[in-house]
Amino acid sequence: MSGAQGSSRGAHRPGEVVDRNRTITFTFNGKKYKGLVGDTIISALTANGVKIVSRSWKYHRRRGVMSGNYHDPNCHFQVNDEPNVRGAHRRLEEGMVVSTQNVSPSLKFDVGAVNQKLSRFLTAGFYYKTFIKPERLWPTYEKVLQRFAGGGKVAATGHHVPADKRYAHPDVLVAGGGPSGMSAALSAADAGSSVLLVEEEYELGGFLRWGTGDELAVAQSLREKVAAHPKITTLTNAVVAGRYDQNWVSVIERGLPVVMESLIKVRTATLIAAPGLIERPYVFEGNDLPGVMLSTAVLRLVNLYAVKPGERAVVFTGNDSGIAAAEALRAVGVDVVQVVDARHGGGLVRATSSRGVLSGVEFSDGSKVLCDLLVVAAGWTAPTTLLNLSGNHPVFDEAGARFVPGPDLDDTVFATGGLVGDGTIDEILAHGAAVGRQASERARNGSVTTVAPAFSPDPHLPLFFGTTKGIVDFSEDVSSKDLLAAAHEGYDSVELLKRYTTATMGPAQGKLETINTVAVLASANGESIEETGTTVWRPPYVPITLGALAGRSYEPVRYSPMQAWHESHGGINIVAGQWMRPEHYGDAAKEVSTVRSGVGIIDVTPLGKFELKGNDVSKLLNLVYVNKWSKLEVGAVRYGEMCGEDGVIFDDGVTGHLSEDRYFMSTTSSGAAGVYAHLESWLQTGFPEWDVTITNVTSAYASINIAGPQSRELLSKLVSDVDLSNEAFPYMNLRTGTIAGVPGCHMWRIGFTGELSFEIHVPAGFGAYVWETLMEHGADFGITPFGLEAQRIMRLEKGHFIVGQDTDGVTQGFSAGIDWLIKLDKDDFIGKPELQWQHDSGAGFRLVGIHPNDPKQVPTEASQIVMDGTIQGRITSSRFSPTLNRSICLGLVVPALAVAGTVVPIRLPNGTIIQGTVMEHHASYDHEGAKLRG
Amino acid sequence: MSRNKPVKYSALGLFKRGLSGKEWPRVWRDVELKKTYDVVIIGAGVHGLSTAYYLAKNHGVKNVAVVDRAYVGGGGSGRNTAILRSNYLTPEGVRFYDRSVDLYRHLAADLNFNVMFAPRGHLTLAHNDGALRTMRWRAEVNKVQGIDSEVIGPEEIKKLVPYMDVSDETRYPILGALYHPPGGIIRHDAVNWGYARAADAMGVEIHQKTEVLGINTAGGKVTGVRTNRGDVSAPIVINCTAGWATLIADMAGVKLPIITHPLQAAVTEPVQMFLSSVVVSGSLHVYVSQTDRGELVFGASTDPYAAYSMRSSLEFTEELAGHVLELMPSISKMRVLRQWSGLCDITPDFSPIMGFTEVEGFLVDVGWGTYGFKAGPASGEAMAQLAATNKTPEIISAFDLARFEEGRLASERGAAAVGH
Amino acid sequence: MILIPCPNCGPRNSSEFTYEGENKERPNAATATKAQWRNYLYLKNNPLGWTTETWYHSSGCKKFLVAERHTMTNEIRSTKALGHQGGAS
Repeated sequence: MSGAQGSSRGAHRPGEVVDRNRTITFTFNGKKYKGLVGDTIISALTANGVKIVSRSWKYHRRRGVMSGNYHDPNCHFQVNDEPNVRGAHRRLEEGMVVSTQNVSPSLKFDVGAVNQKLSRFLTAGFYYKTFIKPERLWPTYEKVLQRFAGGGKVAATGHHVPADKRYAHPDVLVAGGGPSGMSAALSAADAGSSVLLVEEEYELGGFLRWGTGDELAVAQSLREKVAAHPKITTLTNAVVAGRYDQNWVSVIERGLPVVMESLIKVRTATLIAAPGLIERPYVFEGNDLPGVMLSTAVLRLVNLYAVKPGERAVVFTGNDSGIAAAEALRAVGVDVVQVVDARHGGGLVRATSSRGVLSGVEFSDGSKVLCDLLVVAAGWTAPTTLLNLSGNHPVFDEAGARFVPGPDLDDTVFATGGLVGDGTIDEILAHGAAVGRQASERARNGSVTTVAPAFSPDPHLPLFFGTTKGIVDFSEDVSSKDLLAAAHEGYDSVELLKRYTTATMGPAQGKLETINTVAVLASANGESIEETGTTVWRPPYVPITLGALAGRSYEPVRYSPMQAWHESHGGINIVAGQWMRPEHYGDAAKEVSTVRSGVGIIDVTPLGKFELKGNDVSKLLNLVYVNKWSKLEVGAVRYGEMCGEDGVIFDDGVTGHLSEDRYFMSTTSSGAAGVYAHLESWLQTGFPEWDVTITNVTSAYASINIAGPQSRELLSKLVSDVDLSNEAFPYMNLRTGTIAGVPGCHMWRIGFTGELSFEIHVPAGFGAYVWETLMEHGADFGITPFGLEAQRIMRLEKGHFIVGQDTDGVTQGFSAGIDWLIKLDKDDFIGKPELQWQHDSGAGFRLVGIHPNDPKQVPTEASQIVMDGTIQGRITSSRFSPTLNRSICLGLVVPALAVAGTVVPIRLPNGTIIQGTVMEHHASYDHEGAKLRG
Repeated sequence: MSRNKPVKYSALGLFKRGLSGKEWPRVWRDVELKKTYDVVIIGAGVHGLSTAYYLAKNHGVKNVAVVDRAYVGGGGSGRNTAILRSNYLTPEGVRFYDRSVDLYRHLAADLNFNVMFAPRGHLTLAHNDGALRTMRWRAEVNKVQGIDSEVIGPEEIKKLVPYMDVSDETRYPILGALYHPPGGIIRHDAVNWGYARAADAMGVEIHQKTEVLGINTAGGKVTGVRTNRGDVSAPIVINCTAGWATLIADMAGVKLPIITHPLQAAVTEPVQMFLSSVVVSGSLHVYVSQTDRGELVFGASTDPYAAYSMRSSLEFTEELAGHVLELMPSISKMRVLRQWSGLCDITPDFSPIMGFTEVEGFLVDVGWGTYGFKAGPASGEAMAQLAATNKTPEIISAFDLARFEEGRLASERGAAAVGH
Repeated sequence: MILIPCPNCGPRNSSEFTYEGENKERPNAATATKAQWRNYLYLKNNPLGWTTETWYHSSGCKKFLVAERHTMTNEIRSTKALGHQGGAS
């Protein structure tokens, strides 16, 4: 079967877009075919005489071209690795592998077609009435139903190439590049506005492209003017997919090389909706047979692609589009044997078939005509989606038999073209031009002075369904019979009807189905279409790939300046929030031992760090921390805990007094941004009169904790302008000085690990240098770098809790075992009322140290403590301590169990129960802190 | 007119009516609103309808009207992504949701309506050690209550979801997941219709397009409601609304600690089945499942600010797509077909508010956030019992309104927020 | 994507901001009863209509602002900067 140089191509058409000299080879269901450059998949198939292009989803009925546009539900194909390609829109490419979806084993002999024979039993919603018992078989039934699911295949492997998104900020966005859209764009641009014109087809022109010679000339002239205008940017094969709050608009650019499509996010001052009209199918028996086509499908096939869609045609029409289709068919040599015009009283009863395709038509006057092509022109649907998304409520124009914009249009949204009315080319252009001016005025001045000429739909017969039952939703296989039965059964509002029958839930999302569905329901209820209403129009207007929506990922990874050193020295990374940092360097237990006996350094740069400056900083500290800060001397450092107004612990850290009006605060790494916002919130909304400025210096300083008995000796080698002795620089103090020649470093003595330690904060640019210098000088001491895991073990040995691990979303201050820190005699501070009440009632879990009785058992964190069948607590932190050579834990337990010596049963994940003993202190190692204070 | 069981649905029935062409009777009657009822339930979603059903079935209370300003199941019950599970964090939450899942398992047979519960298996992914610890916490709490939950590693996840990227290459590599085999999906509309039909068969009246305009009280007791179709007197009025809970409660003079945020969802075009499990990622704020029609259904977190608009946003689908492709990078050519939105009533502790209020006879079953649909059956059963016996059933005692003032919050924050 | 008119920066996409919630008057922490305090913590008006709320320009000027927004249309009819514009001046 050839078809190359037009075995089914008619005579040359003045508007044809195919290049008869350039052929393309492609396969369809494994068979080779030829098409022309400019063809769509469907025009090429039709030119090759392929009449049956797919099978319907539910009943597996044979289907051919119906509406012949992007939305045609019969024209979905798998193309290479892409499912659900719209074959009547997608251009043919060399080597394309095209196949039908959801047929087995093939399009010709599809076993699913047995559904067709059972259709009287398998009405819409039949599955709700069956497969009920036996219950345990539902998964099996489910697998059977899934085999009939529509749609193509999606690949299991492969990454997508990220499609970059971009922004646009035009004054006026025109959705639709037909005559009205082009006219509006030109006049808005002439009035001085920047215009973005978006058209879903490959070229501007709208319905003019498949029109008469005059219409083609108008299209060409407009195209040239648009192309020449400096203030108009045109996108073709692009679609306005959604309109959101305040004219935030999504535009999808399709057909891009490498990436399939990409997203443009537009904030436009004004939006003009000019989408034209979508031709609506007519409901009658046989309306889904291959060979039944809408008039615009025929006009496209003939006038754009010079394809003969059949040999012997009958036309049923209610408007001039059917007449135009008849003329076009004759021009390419198709025998048009009868034209029946509803305006003259003609009526279409049914289409009949032979061997699964159209063979004839019956009319209401009793005549029967043989044919292989039935052209139907029953009317138009206004695609009002953009208006609905703008908050407009379109109204149904009874005389015109379609919806028009409602009176409540947002004043930054405009409509023109078929959405608003019908007319001569001049009238269409005039209305478009006026609306373009209006949109420009509104964008520039905030108000509109131009008045648009009167423009409304021509009268049209209400041709929705005939006297026989036919398919209403082609993709979901829902017939008017199904709709009526469902309505009579009580699913009689439009939303219930949609959900029960699934009508309008297919890939066209109602564009071809909703009006007929509503018309059928209205007739069942004895209501008008306006009274019945439609389902909700939702974005996106056309489906958008996940790839285009996702774009490129912008989740930055934060590293300290020393990260490269870690990775090249055996550091194994852990993802810690936004940061990547070393968990260990090969042996965390060994790191612990080395630190406790010698010295080690850990990179703690992710620690949240703020500089607080002003005369009222101590007031802020008193407000946000549970303890007291007014008397913190210059040079001193204090641990603090922050609670929320509900008394729940949400962060902790140490804060030091650098100088008269400067403090240095640290927070947890993951809490930093939240604490910053918290502090600013209270300053700005609660105490704007306070003199406090906060600077987030988390990234400005590289932070290193030098820990171990020899930490002072090591640091002394690098510091000469600060006396590091215990007398001059005691525990819980800070100093500022020069480290390894780097001035302006803060050092403080705190004790997360429980060893003598100095935490240094070095201007970040010198972080790596200071780190390497420490490692170099520390070699004599057998220094080790240590990571997060070693730090976790050591802090647990010291009984230091971690907010968010040993506390949770309901753990209030007095639960954490630091009662001494909470100063209820302070003036109002955040959390005080609830903490007072917690203190009085003694309520809430308690954090305690727990040692498993078997020192080798290390219970999994989150193991539950269950007594009398109820949960009385859980293990929050658990490790094997290399220092003590036994397991150690922290846990939250009910107050009754929080007594030293209590034995609690711990339920391990595998179900076994082990015993643990509640300890007196959280710390298992040096709980008096002698090592810290040395 | 009162019958007890609806006309039976069955394959045989389909066959017979297919042959004869005889139509099925209405799913629920279309009747006039009376002037008085024993109970008026506001909201014809799964909570309101199941409450009505269990009132009639378990307690013989049939003089009940369920009123809704729109159509049956038009609110959250018709907009959710229909995920069922019981792998919650708090013991009281676990007990409650598990009772609901258990009722769901037998619902099709009980209601004689195929609700299509498919126990596909539910995975909650953990992308950092904190999340993994929370998964372990949930698993252990679940096990104590006899619920099938366990923490599994990346290899086992890959076996369940071959399309998942479990490598180290992703921005937030998957460390493990909470695997809950009994969790799955259901056809939400069918549940709503099934309850409505069965309740109607027992005499309960369902009144659509009936908007409550006011609630009448006298001397601290509720006396009835005012609607756009007339006034109705009733000694018991139950607020089973979602999204409108505070607006309705305000009518009775009852303040609720609820804020309303939109929650969006989206669906793709259908493709051949490739995802059998329900996949949730708390860190990435996304959940996804594949329906029998072949469509992927997604959701994420609630919109970040309080609103009553059910308009969709673009940033929702952008973020969602980004996170889904992090999990399953090969599906980038799938297309989003439709997005929609509903309203969520959020409470301070992510647990519902059920039971008595300070107005006698005015009961609430509200505050269902993003987890209301899965709770439908158990809520209805418990609320029916509460309304019929005037005593709070133990299974919902932790969800009382008084807990906020008394400082007894039930914190499900870890499990509920973007858990679905 | 609603536009929030930041008093410092002009109209910016809402994704640059963090929503802080409906404004509620804080009772005197020293004298509030449990009921009053927990009312403050947990009860909001949650109106369908105009509401007064706080936003934080977290990805911008880092200032807090109070806005009047309509919870159905998302129209913002006013925004007001709060005090403390930073530093000793």
